[in-house]
Amino acid sequence: MNRNIFISFGLHIFLVIITALSLPFLAKKPIDLPPIISVELIQITDKTNIPFAPKAKKIIEKVKVKEKKLVSEQAPPKKIKKQKPDAVPLPDEKIKKIKKIKDEKQNPEKVETEVKQISEFEKKELFDTNSIAALIDKSKTESAETNKKLDKVTQDQDKEMDFGGLTLSEEDALKAQIFGCWSIPLGLPFNEDLLVRIKLQLKPDGSIIKTEILDHARMNRPGQGFYKVLAESALRAIKLCQPLRVPSTGYERWKDMQLNFDAREMLEG
Amino acid sequence: MNLSKILKNAFLIILASLVLTACATKKTSTTSGQMQGDVYTGSDSVEYLASGVPDRVFFATNETVLTTASRETLRKQAGWLRKNSDINVVLEGHADERGTREYNLALGERRANSAKDYLMTYGISSDRISVLSYGKERPIDSGSSPLAWSKNRRSVTVKAN
Amino acid sequence: MLLRYLFILLIIIPAKAFALIEVDITRGNLNPLPVAVSPLSIDNKSKENFKKILKKEDLGSEISIVVENNLRQSGLFNPLNKDAFLQEPDVANLKPRFEDWNLIKAQALVTGKVTFVDEKLRVEFRLWDILAGKEMMALAFTTVPSNWRRVGHIITDKVYERLTGEKGYFDTRIIYIAEEGPKTNRIKKLAIMDQDGFNNKYLTLGNELVLTPRFSPTNQMVTYLSYFRNLPRVYLLDIETGMQEVVGDFPGMTFAPRFSPDGKKIIMSFAKDGNSDIYTMDLENRIVERVTNHPSIDTSPSYSPDGKRITFNSDRSGYQQIYVMDSNGKNVKRISFGNGLYGTPVWSPRGDLIAFTKLHKGKFYIGVMRTDGTGERLLTENFYQEAPSWSPNGRVLIFYRETKTNSKGEGFSAKLWSIDLTGYNEKMVETETDASDPSWSSLLSN
Repeated sequence: MNRNIFISFGLHIFLVIITALSLPFLAKKPIDLPPIISVELIQITDKTNIPFAPKAKKIIEKVKVKEKKLVSEQAPPKKIKKQKPDAVPLPDEKIKKIKKIKDEKQNPEKVETEVKQISEFEKKELFDTNSIAALIDKSKTESAETNKKLDKVTQDQDKEMDFGGLTLSEEDALKAQIFGCWSIPLGLPFNEDLLVRIKLQLKPDGSIIKTEILDHARMNRPGQGFYKVLAESALRAIKLCQPLRVPSTGYERWKDMQLNFDAREMLEG
Repeated sequence: MNLSKILKNAFLIILASLVLTACATKKTSTTSGQMQGDVYTGSDSVEYLASGVPDRVFFATNETVLTTASRETLRKQAGWLRKNSDINVVLEGHADERGTREYNLALGERRANSAKDYLMTYGISSDRISVLSYGKERPIDSGSSPLAWSKNRRSVTVKAN
Repeated sequence: MLLRYLFILLIIIPAKAFALIEVDITRGNLNPLPVAVSPLSIDNKSKENFKKILKKEDLGSEISIVVENNLRQSGLFNPLNKDAFLQEPDVANLKPRFEDWNLIKAQALVTGKVTFVDEKLRVEFRLWDILAGKEMMALAFTTVPSNWRRVGHIITDKVYERLTGEKGYFDTRIIYIAEEGPKTNRIKKLAIMDQDGFNNKYLTLGNELVLTPRFSPTNQMVTYLSYFRNLPRVYLLDIETGMQEVVGDFPGMTFAPRFSPDGKKIIMSFAKDGNSDIYTMDLENRIVERVTNHPSIDTSPSYSPDGKRITFNSDRSGYQQIYVMDSNGKNVKRISFGNGLYGTPVWSPRGDLIAFTKLHKGKFYIGVMRTDGTGERLLTENFYQEAPSWSPNGRVLIFYRETKTNSKGEGFSAKLWSIDLTGYNEKMVETETDASDPSWSSLLSN
């Protein structure tokens, strides 16, 4: 019996010694503070105008592919239609812009950043006008590039408005305002498509001239009764929020606006 | 590694292990000696069919098996029933309040049936025994403590005539 | 040629515009919608008539109060204070001055008119969209004067549906067990009331223990468990006549009864020799069918709204869990797998969810899960609560809670509570006495 206790004791002491040797001592070490770096805050809203950045890459790839196609397709028809441009009653501004664009030096990169501004919604128009405009223009490669320019927001004078969307801060301000006005009907089914898109025409002070519900047909479709309720709640939100928090300048670029109300996030969560 | 460091370490470790050994393990069984595990073993609420014949047996939470003590009690009941062959009984099964109502009705019935089966193995005819469940509707102790609940998990033998 | 130019024109001109700015609005507020419920206008003659018959001073105002309270209780609406109303009820009903109502921040307005016609009560009401400045809905009802509260409930259902997109649940009743007395000897009675607590009536006297009442889909009958003559059996009660009859002729305890969705069968548990299984009985031909056949306890059966499947409670795995099977008893599948015990499964009238009670580490929870067992969500936790029952639109759950007693066994109470499916708007349902085992009827008007 004693012998066993002795052996057990010995083994325990052995364990303690091993642990003692291998453990780092838990003393307090002095903390090394990294040297303080001074940081300067600068406004970057002018440059952060990329509302659709995540989609940009996709769009750029697609555009590049289409670009190639366009350039090759344009060749044959152009020969025939050479005389026509004069007969087409293009609005004056359009012609002015085309000239301006031709004058400017175009980097390929700049073209790409322009592409970023186009929303998915507009993509179709972009490519359609490309093929048509190609008929009008004389030069091959230039046409491909300039056509893209045509559809863009091109208020060249104002540098801020180079890109068509709202700046991040402008968008955030408007969103925050509408979040407060939109009473989401809790009875909506949360496993359905709860997106209602409303086009607005605005006055310079942010009040509403006209509203238009896209997908209007869905309002009366059987089984989609909730869509009507959803759309009405969005309309109420807009009316309630008048005058909308619009930017103080650049009326031309935001006088037509589309608000995409999506209740899914709130109801699923 | 210098000696002082090793000694400091060793001291810490011994201290730590002493602290650990000093912690007593919590005793899960009851304090007042009226429960064994989960089953009531006291005599507070127990009544007697006859001298030395307790009228009820107790169960663990969610259980319907008879404990040794229960079997002892039921043996006494069987003996008494054999001696008084004109008496019929109703076994009333109960459950504690810590369960859903309908399931507890079924549980009470099963408990009473366990007791009935055991009585039958001692020669009491099933004609003399009927079973009734009250689920959690008729607690004998209205408290909300484990002790109260253990008193309520029971099967009571009641004279029918 | 010309066509081609026209085509170009059509494409180019819209392209001249700036790219349309799109802003995604993905958040809003879940605040209750501010609505104004104007007292219904009523002419003096009708007012006098109704005062005589119903002993109510101003029936137009009374009906609007029913609507107002319903909307407030739902948690989705915020009825505005009447003192701030600028327009008189009769004027507002014809053509509201929307600017006036907009001033007090109302987004919707309910107006109406009450008249006494041919000894009957006639109510017409209108729902207005204040911000859009137009009428959304206009309906009229005619009924016996004593039904005036129901008119208020029906109006609420219509308004609720028009503004939320979901069917309402206000023209309904709740049946429950009214209880009194010490915990060791509770007196229990069958009771029925309107969903807003009014018109409370007792259906039994309290001489025998009664438990777990459930409505039939037609709302005419109730099935429940009664210990009449100390024999626990399932009974049927006709609400109108008060007639009671035992269901079937079972040689042992039957309990946990429910109706099938078509109202033709009663499904229940039958306990014999320590085993409880699920059986059905056809109310017309009295044929009894056995649905489960297992040595475990099988109870608390509940049909899916299409009648094709049944969810029930079984301890065949060793502990109380929730199972789903076909209505013929085949394809039994376990659907609860979380930690703890599960009981009282109830299939939602929408068919998409099963509500249940869960017991885990000494706490009771009311929760919901999808019918395949996924998406388990616990809505509320308490010392003791159980037995959820669905509102007919599958949105609100009513259940009951009991309190702890102190060391002397005092302080016990049982009350009905309700909670919204989203977990919001948890509140107590007022009853005259203590209450338990609530069951919600379907919509009375169809």
